[in-house]
Amino acid sequence: MKLMNKVFAGLVATGVGLAATAAFAGDIRVGITMRMVSENGQAYGQMVMDEIKAINESGGINGNMIKATLMNDECKSDKGVANANKLIFQENIHLLIGSTCSSVSLPIVDVTAKAGVPQMIPHSTNSKITQKGSEWVFRIPVSGRYYGGVNAKYVGENIGTKIAYICAADAASVGDCANMEKQMRARFGVDPAYRADVQEKEVDFRSHMQKIKSMNVDGILVAALAETMARALIQSYEAGISEDVRRIGSSSASNAPVPKIAGDAAKGVFFTAAYAAADNRPIAKLFNEMTRKRYGIHAPDHDFSQAYDLVRIMEIALNNADLKLEQWSLANDRTAIRDAIASVEGYEGLASGPISFCAAPTPQCRDGNRTAVLIGYTKGGENFETEVLARVTMEPDFGLE
Amino acid sequence: MGFDFNSLLAFIIFGVTIGVVYGIVALGISLIYSGLDIVHFAHGEMYMFGAFFGLVLAHNVGVPYPVALIGAMILTAILGMAVERVFYRRLTRAGGGYTVAGMGMIICGFGMSVALVNAAYFFFGAEAEPFRANLDYIPRLTFPGDINVPESYVLTAIISVLLMTGLHYFLRHTKTGLAVRAVAHNKDIAYLMGINVPLMISLIFGLACGLAAAAGVLIGPMQSVQVEMGYLMLMKAFAAAVVGGFGSLPGAILGGIMVGIFENLGAAYISASHKDIYAFLLLILVLMFRPSGLFGVEAKVKA
Repeated sequence: MKLMNKVFAGLVATGVGLAATAAFAGDIRVGITMRMVSENGQAYGQMVMDEIKAINESGGINGNMIKATLMNDECKSDKGVANANKLIFQENIHLLIGSTCSSVSLPIVDVTAKAGVPQMIPHSTNSKITQKGSEWVFRIPVSGRYYGGVNAKYVGENIGTKIAYICAADAASVGDCANMEKQMRARFGVDPAYRADVQEKEVDFRSHMQKIKSMNVDGILVAALAETMARALIQSYEAGISEDVRRIGSSSASNAPVPKIAGDAAKGVFFTAAYAAADNRPIAKLFNEMTRKRYGIHAPDHDFSQAYDLVRIMEIALNNADLKLEQWSLANDRTAIRDAIASVEGYEGLASGPISFCAAPTPQCRDGNRTAVLIGYTKGGENFETEVLARVTMEPDFGLE
Repeated sequence: MGFDFNSLLAFIIFGVTIGVVYGIVALGISLIYSGLDIVHFAHGEMYMFGAFFGLVLAHNVGVPYPVALIGAMILTAILGMAVERVFYRRLTRAGGGYTVAGMGMIICGFGMSVALVNAAYFFFGAEAEPFRANLDYIPRLTFPGDINVPESYVLTAIISVLLMTGLHYFLRHTKTGLAVRAVAHNKDIAYLMGINVPLMISLIFGLACGLAAAAGVLIGPMQSVQVEMGYLMLMKAFAAAVVGGFGSLPGAILGGIMVGIFENLGAAYISASHKDIYAFLLLILVLMFRPSGLFGVEAKVKA
């Protein structure tokens, strides 16, 4: 009887093992963690899933299907890390996509580095992400160090050097402020005329604005997430700071809630981003049309364009990777995907310049996109409008001194 | 930052305008505390719901801002009364205040806060919404030293004074107000005097939630409207209520104004980056030196 029990248990264990292997084999498992708390976030999360579905419907990757799992991290680092751990250790993913917030992507870099899982970042600007030296991380968006350089050059040469800084506590804004400050000091030898570090979701900027007003500054840099930035812009006008004092946004100014919430206060605000909906290239016009029809987006920001570019780069890399897609080959497949992404060179998509990666785990190799677009709002509100002021491609070493 | 009288005046003026909003919410918290001896921890969410009701009325229904304000107050008052009737009534009947039921009600308040936040996410979404209000009929005040006080801030001050006056009149000069005060003083004796205590408690909830809604609609044009706006306001209003003296209605307003001025001056002359600390610093100082609050009386204990 005991022998029969053992045989039965062995058969069950083998069956479960075979079933698990069958479930794992053949598919390329991709885990995605993104901020999807807003309509925009849900739409670009959906867009990634739709694009992956389209790849599968057109035959997949060398005959293999992509099995994508989409999770919402709400832009919270604890949730992002929990999602990454679940995707890596329970779902056994081959590739992680995420996150769309620097404060979430930063800790996930440590998780993917330890587990040996390639991580493609759709949107996170903090320079430190690629400075951690992980060989598994690839950044599709433009790094904050490039944004800081473009902003500083434009501001110093066209507006003035007496700049007030309002810096929110989220990782992206902290990085944007630090980069701008560093570049203003390096290029023009000036420190901020005023600097305030505020909470991530600060609602009352009036004391800051009152102080800034009395300083007669040339410009105000508001580095904050979209909704916080919009509030600061409105309150800067309420405090009586004239429109001659230029408002400079961090890269979050690209997000639609800024002009929508700020309304008229968004007019004249300029910022650097990776994509401008006002781009005249045919590919950009087609993309704008697609997002409008499919997701009802008035003007897609760089969160959309970068997510789209990421899927295309992922497709190229997966097609080039030598994948076995067996349970035993998981570590080898992950390494093959990492190497294939590192081999992507000169990808031309929605980004305003080519995206290239290379093998070394350095910011020069892993900050793939070095072209920033300087964009200005010409109209705020629901039907906001933008114009492209400049397009600048930086050297790989820029901002690392 | 060097001392400049004009800047000081500006910081005080802005402190007062935000302070009266804290005060209105604190007034509601104090009103509920007076009636039930409990702190209503879902009050921040009533403030948030009020702001959203006002937003929907102004933007979707298209009514003028003052009508949206009144409408939001009525709708939120109804919501507050419904919440009290459906969820809190059993606990308030069991004694409320310093009893096991009172503790249950505090926990129930926390639960209600989470439930309301999630309901708001479901109905209104996570995005912050701009509250555009046409306030051209309100004058923009300009003080000496080029201090501009925007229309929305002026309106906030006017409405706050009207609400406080109205509430004072209601409580002091009407029979129903007298009944509310009797319930606040002692529910058992109020029962014996023939007052419909459950109805008065519902009324207290309605009034308090209506006041929170007014604060939400007033703050909307200044800070936009979003689901998570209630938490920090609750904390500030709580600080205002404690500073003014828990249960004291004039104290709540004065506490709110003090908190507003204190945090604005702290932000201006110490560090603007840690603005939220000052309200709680004031709260701690008041609790250390005058635990009953600046305008409160010695704490009463009801069993």
